[in-house]
Amino acid sequence: MVFSTPFFLFTYFPLVLAIHAITPLKWRNAVLLVVNLIFYGWKKPAYILIMFASIGIDYVHGLLVEKAKGAGNDKRAKRYVIQSMAFNLALLGFFKYWDFIAGSLHGLGLTFMPVLGLELPIGISFYTFQTMSYTVDVYRGDAKAQRNIVNFGTFVTLFPQLIAGPILKYKDLADQIDERDYPIERFAAGVQIFTVGLAKKVLLANNLGSLWDYYKALPAGELTTAGAWLGIVAFAFHLYFDFSGYSDMAVGLGQMLGFEFLGNFNYPYMAKSITDFWRRWHISLSSWFRDYLYIPLGGSRCSKGRLVFNLMAVWTATGIWHGANWNFLLWGIYYGVLLVLEKLVWGKALQKLPAALQHVYALALVLIGWALFAIEDFSALGPYLGSMLGFAGGGLVNGTVFYHLRSYTLILLLAAVGSSPLVKSLWHKLPGKAQKLLCPLLILAGLLLSTAYLVDGTYNPFLYFQF
Amino acid sequence: MNKNYARFLSALFCGLLAVLFTANALTPDKEFSQVENRALAQRPHITGDTFQLPPLSGLFTSNQGGDFFTGKLMSDYETYVIDQFVLRDTWVAAKAYAEMLIGKKENNNVYFCEDGSLITRFDAPDEKRLERNFNSVSKFAASVDVPVYFGLIPTQASVWADKLPAGAPNYDQNLVLEAAGKAVTGTTQLDLATNLNGHKDEAIFYRTDHHWTSLGAYYGYVSVMEGLGRGDEVIPLEDYAKTTVSTEFYGTVFSSSGVRWVKPDEMDTYVPADGLKLITVSTNASGLEERTERPFYDESYLEVKDKYSMFLGGQQPLGVVYTGNTDKPKLLLVRDSYSDSLVPFLTPHFSEIHLMDLRYYKTSASEYIAKNGIDAALVLYSVPNFTSDTNLVFLR
Repeated sequence: MVFSTPFFLFTYFPLVLAIHAITPLKWRNAVLLVVNLIFYGWKKPAYILIMFASIGIDYVHGLLVEKAKGAGNDKRAKRYVIQSMAFNLALLGFFKYWDFIAGSLHGLGLTFMPVLGLELPIGISFYTFQTMSYTVDVYRGDAKAQRNIVNFGTFVTLFPQLIAGPILKYKDLADQIDERDYPIERFAAGVQIFTVGLAKKVLLANNLGSLWDYYKALPAGELTTAGAWLGIVAFAFHLYFDFSGYSDMAVGLGQMLGFEFLGNFNYPYMAKSITDFWRRWHISLSSWFRDYLYIPLGGSRCSKGRLVFNLMAVWTATGIWHGANWNFLLWGIYYGVLLVLEKLVWGKALQKLPAALQHVYALALVLIGWALFAIEDFSALGPYLGSMLGFAGGGLVNGTVFYHLRSYTLILLLAAVGSSPLVKSLWHKLPGKAQKLLCPLLILAGLLLSTAYLVDGTYNPFLYFQF
Repeated sequence: MNKNYARFLSALFCGLLAVLFTANALTPDKEFSQVENRALAQRPHITGDTFQLPPLSGLFTSNQGGDFFTGKLMSDYETYVIDQFVLRDTWVAAKAYAEMLIGKKENNNVYFCEDGSLITRFDAPDEKRLERNFNSVSKFAASVDVPVYFGLIPTQASVWADKLPAGAPNYDQNLVLEAAGKAVTGTTQLDLATNLNGHKDEAIFYRTDHHWTSLGAYYGYVSVMEGLGRGDEVIPLEDYAKTTVSTEFYGTVFSSSGVRWVKPDEMDTYVPADGLKLITVSTNASGLEERTERPFYDESYLEVKDKYSMFLGGQQPLGVVYTGNTDKPKLLLVRDSYSDSLVPFLTPHFSEIHLMDLRYYKTSASEYIAKNGIDAALVLYSVPNFTSDTNLVFLR
């Protein structure tokens, strides 16, 4: 199930809210677990079995790790951590990468692995990472092992963030799982952020997504340089508003159910360098990799050669995490190389440039990165990048580009402003009374307009599904 | 945020959810949408089969098992919620308005043109399908003894291309016509484009429907007669008296666009139905042929949304028009719905016009020609219908 459907908004979620509200506090986790599982199995009920396996194995391993540590047997505790990680990675590897690897080997004439035609269980990349964090946190003493399997199941399956993050670390959520309160202020804050997220996804992201679809499908000979840039800018906004909208909805729904999740984005397109971009984009993923891969590998407090290795390892993994395809691997390596260069070569020089140039530098590289990310077909990638660099079959610009610019002026403007802290700072400059008056009006407008777009809904893809 | 204000915002949100939840639950489901002219999704039925277990090996891989296990039950339910959403037409219209207000010139693949015309975008056709369809026509022409004529009708997106918003993406239908000229063999090809383009400043297409008007069909008729080598028999337009049968016609493009701010179309007829008899032939449940007479112009359709079906009563697998001109030849017309408004003009020139719709008529057309003493066959489609058609394989 996804949030941006009339069914979720006006059938499932009202029922969840109502049932949740009338359930006594001590039964709420059990109720949440049930509605989480329905949410998760909605697309294909068999997925729930994978979820049960994941919950069961990590629950047991958490207890085993704690017991071994309690007995002073660090070696055994470590072994249990590795065992549980191996299980999670095997699960992810099988469902996400088996067919990709098998298909690639078939391409080379090696057929010992059959292509199984597996359907990727939604959100598997998110929840396997989430459960992996659990045993590590227990091992490191950052959290106590969860004794109640219902509570643990609720943590793993928590529906607001189940299929697209933010990726929660157990240590951040442990206390809230066991006990939380429900102040009305938190609920109201959830309403606000949820509405913002819904509007971002439905009104901005979907609109810009269809613009990108046009340029993505255009044969190389008809692509213009301006069109290629317009297309990739549309994709950049589409992805940002789709994903951050979804994260906002998750945070909002979480707050309505009494949880506080950390945000996932901090105006990524305001970045002044690639290093800066990755502190702002999909924060829960990059901090996961930082805590559970980069730092264990030695982080940056090591030799230069080791640093290069660490960075490349983390970014190759980040790339392939995004999807079982060569272009995602390439995209990860691209960022690995850029980060190595910033750390070791031009990072300091970059900071001396005027701020505007730093923004241009970062945005241009990010946009080229999005072309690698968005175009899965390598035979189309070359011509597209070539068109961006001025070698376009259709010349510099054509009437269609102007048609699109005219049609999307307002949307692009809103997207650009929405990617900056401008809206927030303007909002805070408003007198308190105006805020109080405007807020409910904007909530109503956002919900009603989004509903209109969803009921018409011919175009409502959701990108981070596949990851 | 103080507590009371937080309560107010929360109540606003929950209230809206509750109102729409309740309204959706209480509004009775509709079978058919007049505005969209289509059957709406209904609540999925749950039967014993729905919960049929998939085999263990297909648990994660294939779409085996009942609708519950494949997830079809749930996605059908979501579609049902959307289709039966309370005040659905209002939401759809609101979205179209919103798109227009933010500066878009298009909604759901329909362009808003300056003069209030709504024109569906024509996308680059699937080349493989197009080639298959061309081949079907060529093969059919080679398999029958009577002369075969082939015509493609360019539509608004081509004839009225200069009405489209400047720079709007739109594939050139003339490229399809050129390709047909090269690919289709064994037929005499009709040129409908020249005549329609020549009269593009007249109301030859509806502004809110994908069809041509009776006036457009008249120019099509002139092209057809010229292509048949009988241009000298054409009846001049002045000889007809125009009858306006409706001024309240909102067509299919109106429906799909969501646009509700345009004026309705006017619908005219030129040819009186006197002496014309239309028999529609269908196959009943036990496989027997049933022949029933239909009104040539079925005016009951003027009372509903789907007014274009007034011409020959709309869809039928096979229809035969008896014109009373027994000395004239018999024509087989393999066609789409554009022919419904063309046929009236053809009636003076044929004794019988047999209308075959390949979507519903799957028996051999060449056998039909032999059995019914047909003198000539005409394959006539609009460019968008021809390029997207999947039933031309049944033309044999």
